[in-house]
Amino acid sequence: MNRLLLLGLLCGLAVVLVKSANPHDAFVEDNDFAEFEEFDEEEGTVITEEAVKQPDASQPQREAEAEPADAGFEDEEEEDGIIESEDDEFEHLQDEEEFENFDKEKGSSPKTKGGEKLPDLQMAKVPLHLRTNWDSFYLEMLMIAGLGVYFLNFLAGKTKNSRLATAWLSAHKDLLEANFAIVGDDGTGKEPNQGVLMKESENIYALWCSGRSCVEGMLVELKLLKRQDLVNVLLRVLKPAADQIVVNVTMEDKKMDKFVFAVALKKAAARLHKDMYDLGQFTEKKNVDKYDLPPSYQILSETGEATLAILDKKVCQVLTKFDGLIEYIHLSDQFSGPKSTEDTQPTKLPTVKPCLIFCFTVPGKGKSRPADMESMRPLLQLVFYITEKVSRFQLSREARLKGEKRRQKVEEQFMKAAHSQRQEAAQLRREEKIRADKERLMAEEDPDKARKLEERENRREMKRKQPKMKMMKIN
Amino acid sequence: MSTVPAPVNNNDVRRPNKITRYKAQSTGGPLDDPTPEYMNLLGMVFSMCGLMMKLKWSAWVAVYCSFISFANSRTSEDTKQMLSSFMLSISAVVMSYLQSPQPMMPPW
Repeated sequence: MNRLLLLGLLCGLAVVLVKSANPHDAFVEDNDFAEFEEFDEEEGTVITEEAVKQPDASQPQREAEAEPADAGFEDEEEEDGIIESEDDEFEHLQDEEEFENFDKEKGSSPKTKGGEKLPDLQMAKVPLHLRTNWDSFYLEMLMIAGLGVYFLNFLAGKTKNSRLATAWLSAHKDLLEANFAIVGDDGTGKEPNQGVLMKESENIYALWCSGRSCVEGMLVELKLLKRQDLVNVLLRVLKPAADQIVVNVTMEDKKMDKFVFAVALKKAAARLHKDMYDLGQFTEKKNVDKYDLPPSYQILSETGEATLAILDKKVCQVLTKFDGLIEYIHLSDQFSGPKSTEDTQPTKLPTVKPCLIFCFTVPGKGKSRPADMESMRPLLQLVFYITEKVSRFQLSREARLKGEKRRQKVEEQFMKAAHSQRQEAAQLRREEKIRADKERLMAEEDPDKARKLEERENRREMKRKQPKMKMMKIN
Repeated sequence: MSTVPAPVNNNDVRRPNKITRYKAQSTGGPLDDPTPEYMNLLGMVFSMCGLMMKLKWSAWVAVYCSFISFANSRTSEDTKQMLSSFMLSISAVVMSYLQSPQPMMPPW
């Protein structure tokens, strides 16, 4: 609409200019027409230039409207009578009283229309929603669509994970209730809760069970895939992964004999041996040939006796049957978690607990269904079986003594390293203190300086004297 | 060695008098997966870039980062932090469009 108005205005202007070029209506000669002709050409060129400068669909319209104007002028040339009548017709356009700012129009139009130079165009300030198309915002639409897709995937992934977790719980609930007095405590409230599957994040669920002989408690962590994160989903297309279930059985103190043992898939074994403090300190890689195990497994053991006791026929059968689903079994009386990644040696010995850790992979390689959870029941039964075995297992006297010696050695090594570090730290502190004293002395005035020097010297003397006195006393 | 296949048949191993309450582990969290923290930080960095340098794409990336951070967050984490990062990224987008309402130009 605005464009049409503009066009109308321009045409009106053009007509006005024609009239201004010819102030006397009666004056009709070829020169005038020649003028008109020139003017027509100029007008034509100016109009087309304007059309070029404002590139939109109205261009053909302008040109079309310019053409009838031109045609009109040509008619004027040919027929005098018509010209006169047309002059009369356009007389009202020259009437000053008719138009407001008439002079201004006259004055400004030659500027814009006359001359060879290009007119100085001022773009009208058209509001944005009239000017731009929504199509030009296609990138923004893409972004919003992407966010929408992410959100939808979040909801879908969250629901799927939740369904898998509840499927696992419902499949194993009776077995757990037969073994524990409390299944599903979340630590809140005065009384222990029952049946609470804690949601640690959208893909990690935890279940705490307690109240069993020889066992302090059992924490089952369902480490499902991040189905709620689209980025992770796309990464898994390139690198498939699977859901994991980690069962951590904390034994009561003194209910587990002193040994460290692990059987794991080769990759996992290498990683555990490197990362886990206790496995790195106490175990060595052992051969699986002696045992009826699939070749994909690796044994890390401290004593052969423990290995023999744990890897009995039944356990080997289960390991063979569920080859690939059992990631690792880590039994340790010195479990303290992974090695510290910090460079500095910790000054305190890490707290150790007797733990049995089982890591199972859910079948389906990422595309698990709730029904797959049912097939993992035998693995939980294996957990209880091994728990019972460990609680009853007793090392022979020699093996136990060796184990104790080894643990003492490790502790001493640790204390030495910690002690040397503490000594270094103390030395550094002493040096810094001396330096600070010196600096303070330098800043002080003379009498004070002297006093302080005296004090320090006295102190040093006392220190030097004291140990000697002690030695004499002992002697 | 006893060869009992299943846990117990005749003896009940449950000990209702030996119940230990669950203690939430707080230190294990950051070690496992630092994604939500990184994404939170990235989101804030991109929002600031978008606001200061008037870069629309930076503001949009910030929105994505805060979404990813939210999706990966743990329930134990403070929601206020997540929400503030999200609000910052939204404000970055809105401010960039208010300052220059033209659509984003693709790099090609």
